[in-house]
Amino acid sequence: MIRVSNVVKYHGDARVLDGASLDVQKGQVAALVGPSGSGKSTLLRCINGLEEFQEGTVGVGETLALVGGETPPRDTLLRLRRTVGMVFQQFNLFPHMTVLKNVMSGPIYALGKPAAEAEATAKRWLDRVGLAEKHAAKPAQLSGGQQQRVAIARALAVNPAAILFDEPTSALDPKMSAEVMRVIDDLADDQSLQVAMVIVTHDLPAVKRIADVVHLLGQGRVIYSGPAAEAFAPGGPASTLE
Amino acid sequence: MKPRWLLVPLALVFASPGPAQEKKELRWGTDPVGGGPYIYKDDPNGPYVGFEVELAEYLAKKLGRVSTPVEAEWSTLPELLDKPRDGEKGIDIVLNGYEARDDLKMKYAAAVPYYVYRLQLVARKDDDEVTGWPALGAKKKRIGVLEGSVAFDYCNKRFPGQTVVNKDVATMFNAVADKTHADVTVQDNPACVFYVDDPKYKDKFKLVGDGRQPGEYLIYLRKGDKELLDGINDAIKEGLKDGTLRRIYRKYGIWNADQEWLTEKLTGEFPADEDGEVERAGRGGSGSVWPLVPQLVRAAGMTVFLSIASFPLAMLAGVVIAIGRVYGPVWVKAPFAVFVEVIRGTPLLLQLYFLFFILPKWVPGLALDPIYIGILGLALNYAAYEAENYRAGIQSIPRGQMEAALALGMSPFTAIRTVIVPQAVRVVIPPVTNDFIALFKDTSVCSVILITELTRKYNELYNFNRDLVVELAFLTAGLYLLMSYPMSLLARFLERRTGTHAAGGHR
Repeated sequence: MIRVSNVVKYHGDARVLDGASLDVQKGQVAALVGPSGSGKSTLLRCINGLEEFQEGTVGVGETLALVGGETPPRDTLLRLRRTVGMVFQQFNLFPHMTVLKNVMSGPIYALGKPAAEAEATAKRWLDRVGLAEKHAAKPAQLSGGQQQRVAIARALAVNPAAILFDEPTSALDPKMSAEVMRVIDDLADDQSLQVAMVIVTHDLPAVKRIADVVHLLGQGRVIYSGPAAEAFAPGGPASTLE
Repeated sequence: MKPRWLLVPLALVFASPGPAQEKKELRWGTDPVGGGPYIYKDDPNGPYVGFEVELAEYLAKKLGRVSTPVEAEWSTLPELLDKPRDGEKGIDIVLNGYEARDDLKMKYAAAVPYYVYRLQLVARKDDDEVTGWPALGAKKKRIGVLEGSVAFDYCNKRFPGQTVVNKDVATMFNAVADKTHADVTVQDNPACVFYVDDPKYKDKFKLVGDGRQPGEYLIYLRKGDKELLDGINDAIKEGLKDGTLRRIYRKYGIWNADQEWLTEKLTGEFPADEDGEVERAGRGGSGSVWPLVPQLVRAAGMTVFLSIASFPLAMLAGVVIAIGRVYGPVWVKAPFAVFVEVIRGTPLLLQLYFLFFILPKWVPGLALDPIYIGILGLALNYAAYEAENYRAGIQSIPRGQMEAALALGMSPFTAIRTVIVPQAVRVVIPPVTNDFIALFKDTSVCSVILITELTRKYNELYNFNRDLVVELAFLTAGLYLLMSYPMSLLARFLERRTGTHAAGGHR
């Protein structure tokens, strides 16, 4: 589903990603873990095309690819982003729109769906994240956890094949964090959904609970890819993170 | 083809009965703000009177034409000759107390003089220190003169450091009468006679000493108008010789020996004999401000029209420029940045002047009517300021908003249109509404390109009704307030509405 091959990314003179590679299969839940500054969020942003990179490739599905050092064609970028959704640490809901309009914005403005169809889709996803009754509220009227759940619904409403979660709970207190993780758990357990999920988080218990595979980043490289149980086993490659 | 439709609402508001005659017009450029006895209103709602008005009527009659005054700011009158005669402000001649000047004679044809003036010293009657010209230097009197006038040059040379300048004759006389900014004034003798004889200034002023620095008033016209030049020359000479001009000049109290000298110089003969008493012309002023209200309200209509026509254009252009500057490539950013800096760094007055007088010389197709230039000039000027407002608004939106929209698969344009601009607009509502209110007042600058809006009308009425200066000022200020206050209310309403959204975050 997602193939990252030898991606190199510079921020100024700093080599933030140093040949990072990983694969994520359809329906798989992958966790990106590693110490702060290891390039986890940058790698997610490169996969979504929000950051350009200098070398390597990012492939999504059979036909979409971003090539390092090249400005991708506009159409490729749009299709890739509609295929790979993203949930941000700071939620980034649109404050001038209601909750419902936020979730409808992708289907309408990105996919060109009619308003009625977009509304039905949006209501379905709001119900799924437990916020159907808040559809008329403005984002500022919601708690942080509720806002992040709306952001997840918004990302899912464009029917992506994969979703990238960039530290979705790090701006939340433990209670709200748990609220959001319950939604992600629920999505991960839904076999019918078949959405690949890549999650960057420092919430290691959650990683152990939901991740099919763990990718450990160190100094801009993926230094380990394997099952969570193995990664976090005593003496395992990710055990030092705990 | 010029978009004439824009003038339709104007025509409804400002329509004045045009001459029904088939006769060709003699279109003469004049600035009524200059005042009497050249051109002024005896009756606030009546036609213009003045010795130049009657001279123009006499010339038109001799040429088989109809006299049509075309109003414009005095210093810009000769430049109207560079514009097509058939435009809205097209003229045939400039007739408004213009002296013989070498720079003008190089560019335009000049008719024979129609009047010989001298510089006259005027002081308050109760000022015993001013007994003649020498007293000005000895007593260090402050001398009020018109900016750029012959009196200005003369007094600066004779009494350096003592001149006080203004653009308005009436203001000068008021300053002397009220003992405020000037002790005496030096003006062309026709203006002095007009004010000193004015019943409103009864026993206020005295003419002091002899006239100085004689000069001639000329009519200027296009160099190619040979036939018109000959016709005007012949008419002036004939009018001087047969006593017609003397009758006109006596009516305004400005006939004197210099005119007799002029007649003899131009025609070789002295004027025909006196023809008895001539009734002196009135001095203008109604004593009440109310008859003037309709004129001010009509002029305020022009102010409103200019504002509501230009500001939406400015907002639209401002949004485009702001988006170009924030999101565009370098080849878009650079010219927009230059545009904004040039416009913000130069006065609106100069920009209007450039668009109206200079640009059409390079690109004749851009010789638009003043109203279009006014709207365009205001729109361009305010577009630069609005662009900066919007740019600040756009840049105040967190980067994550754009990223979230792009991550959903929206195109950058869609993201800007649906996510960024709606949020930025809320941020910029207060400065934008402030600018709209400011624009109401900036429309007054359009008087430089011959548009009669509220401030220019105030100036004009003030000159004809000097006893009503306070009432007119309050009335004009009140009209500006009436126009801008609803905008202030709207601004507050919008701020409250957007404030509600912002406050939502703290509930």
